[in-house]
Amino acid sequence: MNKAALRVAAGLLLALALGACSAPGPQFTILSGSENDVLEPMVREFCRSRRADCSVKYQGSLDIALALKAGNDPGADAVWPAASIWIDMFDTARRVKSVKSIAQMPVILGVKRSKAQALGWVGAKVTTKDILAAVEGGRLKFLMTSATQSNSGASAYLAMLAAGIGKPDLIESGDLDKPEVLATVRGLLRGVERSSGSSGWLADLYREGERTGARYEAMWNYEAVIKETNDKLIADKKEPLYAIYPEDGVSVGDSPLGFVDRGRGKEVESFFADLQAFLLKGDTQARIAATGRRVELGRAAPIKADPATNLDPSRALTVVRPPEPAVIQKALSLYQEALRRPSLTALCIDVSGSMKGHGEEQLLEAMRFLLTPVRTREVLVQWSKQDRIIVLPFSDRVLWTAAGSGDDNDQTAILTKTLELRARDGTDFYTCGARALAEMKPVLDAGQHLPAIVIMTDGKSQGAMTTFEAAWRADGRRVPVFGVTFGDDADRSQLDSLATLTGGRVFDGTKSLTQAFRAVRGYN
Amino acid sequence: MAISRRAFGIGMLAASAAGTGGYVYLRQHPEIAGRFGEPKRLFGFAGGEKEGLLANARVRSLLERRFGLILDARRAGSVEMVRERTLLDQKPQFLWPSSSVLVEVARNSGVKISRDQVIFNSPIVLYSWDRIADGLVKGGFAEPAGGPRYTVDLLRVLKAVIAGETWEAMGVSGLFGRARIVSTDPNKSNSGFMFAGLTASLLSGDVIALDSLGRIDGDVATVFRRMGYKPPSSGKLFDDYVAGGAGAQPLIVGYENQLIEWVLQDADRWKRVEASAPSKPVILYPRPTAFSAHPLISIDRAADELIDALVNESLLELAWEEHGFRGPLGTVGKARNPLLQSRLIERIDAVLPMPDAPVMLALLDRLATA
Repeated sequence: MNKAALRVAAGLLLALALGACSAPGPQFTILSGSENDVLEPMVREFCRSRRADCSVKYQGSLDIALALKAGNDPGADAVWPAASIWIDMFDTARRVKSVKSIAQMPVILGVKRSKAQALGWVGAKVTTKDILAAVEGGRLKFLMTSATQSNSGASAYLAMLAAGIGKPDLIESGDLDKPEVLATVRGLLRGVERSSGSSGWLADLYREGERTGARYEAMWNYEAVIKETNDKLIADKKEPLYAIYPEDGVSVGDSPLGFVDRGRGKEVESFFADLQAFLLKGDTQARIAATGRRVELGRAAPIKADPATNLDPSRALTVVRPPEPAVIQKALSLYQEALRRPSLTALCIDVSGSMKGHGEEQLLEAMRFLLTPVRTREVLVQWSKQDRIIVLPFSDRVLWTAAGSGDDNDQTAILTKTLELRARDGTDFYTCGARALAEMKPVLDAGQHLPAIVIMTDGKSQGAMTTFEAAWRADGRRVPVFGVTFGDDADRSQLDSLATLTGGRVFDGTKSLTQAFRAVRGYN
Repeated sequence: MAISRRAFGIGMLAASAAGTGGYVYLRQHPEIAGRFGEPKRLFGFAGGEKEGLLANARVRSLLERRFGLILDARRAGSVEMVRERTLLDQKPQFLWPSSSVLVEVARNSGVKISRDQVIFNSPIVLYSWDRIADGLVKGGFAEPAGGPRYTVDLLRVLKAVIAGETWEAMGVSGLFGRARIVSTDPNKSNSGFMFAGLTASLLSGDVIALDSLGRIDGDVATVFRRMGYKPPSSGKLFDDYVAGGAGAQPLIVGYENQLIEWVLQDADRWKRVEASAPSKPVILYPRPTAFSAHPLISIDRAADELIDALVNESLLELAWEEHGFRGPLGTVGKARNPLLQSRLIERIDAVLPMPDAPVMLALLDRLATA
């Protein structure tokens, strides 16, 4: 064969090889905790290099774990919660494979520096017991994610519970049966000023508080999320958070990325393996370490300590051992039913003419779910007897109001009345919101409950935002508004304005009702 | 030089005839069967700690080229592979758990065994960190064994854990709370399973028998309860140990080969750790310890020859050199890796046999409800 022919053949081979390399990658979905959103660009970069169509969906770690329960469809090819313990506990069918830790994330308390100074914590050794004492003495309130939805909230809660028991190194079965322990933790959870369903969203909430003037004092979150929040606060010329690492131990999330075997074949599985290898290789790990995350021994150096904020990812820590799964389950049920700061929830439900048909069906199904204890218990959003529920069906006016506690009989009575509703007339949720504030006032003034207004609607309202805004400001801007949208052509723009104003959020109720409500309940 | 079409045709024909003859010959001689042989495919389950070895290209190539075998080995927990119907009903041709006792448990589960033989051995060790190990030396629980390696009086440590001693009281400073050793879940994974057996025997003063189990099972349960959450596999626990560091994972149970494999995976990372990590991984060899034997259980006759292939000297040497598995008698291979030389103890004399299957099963039931 002559040289020219050889060159042609070699060129052909090279073209073939390149063609094989650049075949488009698979469509790939990751279900992730919201604390990972800062790492998403790295995931995207890898997906682009493979011409793969990747999407990342954010949820709380416990929500991700619940999606892995036998019989549930997680709707994802990979899961990336904050800690692997939740995968182990809920993935009983063992569908998740090749789990590897991407980073280590201690859960710490960030306290506004001036507040930390006032508490005498700057430069001092602080224990969880000291934090408890400050809360019980009314000197500290904090933001914390919902312990039944998110790993950081669960970790902070379990650490406080352990300190309350006087066994900060490990809670063992039997420890949760002592009444004095429950009293301690109930007092401690009074310190929860606001909550959310996932850690990244909690940080957003903190920063929104700086913007809207709500001015929170502290938040339990991952060391790296405290750093990200501080970077943004400092850029906005706001006061940063001072990092408190409880001396008697912190919980550490191991940020596990695992493959969900849904039988999509070798190509998807090997794409996952390559993505995981990309995130664990030295260069990527160095970029991950630069975000303030701790990475495995010898993979990359952590960022330097910052004396001003006390953040130090190279600081050695005593780590709280997670208890046995059975103990965790019991602790979470207790939190939801007895220890959680009770909620005060006003449900404005839209029964105007535009909801007729599909929207009305979805709405009534939502109410059936929300007020049926056996269903809410399954996904850890059950009401407790201390909770207060107010239902306000509205069209262009509020049709009636019904109030009750989370007691099973109260729920049944409200549900029976609600199921008689039929859609007609115009829409004005601003008036309903203002009326809800008036109905909430007596309980709100007692200061024991976490309040929220939830507007369940297709989103198109007459009336004026000022109707609600004036009432909300007059009431001391205490209540966030959440929207849950229904119907075939839901429009969220008006709800978004209300949520932005009040520090709430809007969720899509048309895709998954239970997820929308778990998200709402995460905030209250 | 141009070649005529005719000559080209004759050449092709000759090559084809030679190829056919060669193919027939090679098929009858798997030991020299190269790409043309027809290798035999075998399906079975193997413990996760052997995943690296079974994925090793040199191991696969040796099995295929010299022995004509291709393995489809799926990962399963050693304890579950010999007990769980969902796994056994898949009709595996072989099982490769990591403890001799499990051969007996497999028989009890109704597995018809054609042949079984121990292929590797790996001692159960404790993994810790240099500063913690030095504290345990100071407290009289461990002894240095030349180089950054230690032996540990496991019974003394267990008694301290049962008594609720703090790390501080045991000589380890800078760690808060009560001392604990963490293993995997003994009902799922072999290293936890073996540690349960070893703990029971040490506490009873001899290899534990069924009639003395009631005397010490409460104390064994205390050791395991004090662990809190227990990961489901040895690989996961070792990953947690390396990733978590001294504050998170002060003292865990693992196999000796896990550190060797981790070091060999990425020698540069290991050099960085040795040079600059605030605390460095160390092995504490319990006195006495138990050997995790890796018996290959051949269920289908076709898998019998896999045993012969695996005990072949070049394979055993590869298993030692690249994965840290000792040979069938617990001896190390020829290779001496300078990265690990000073961290391993070559001869392990104090070894306790595992309790027999009925005792272990009774103990597992007790620990499941601890």
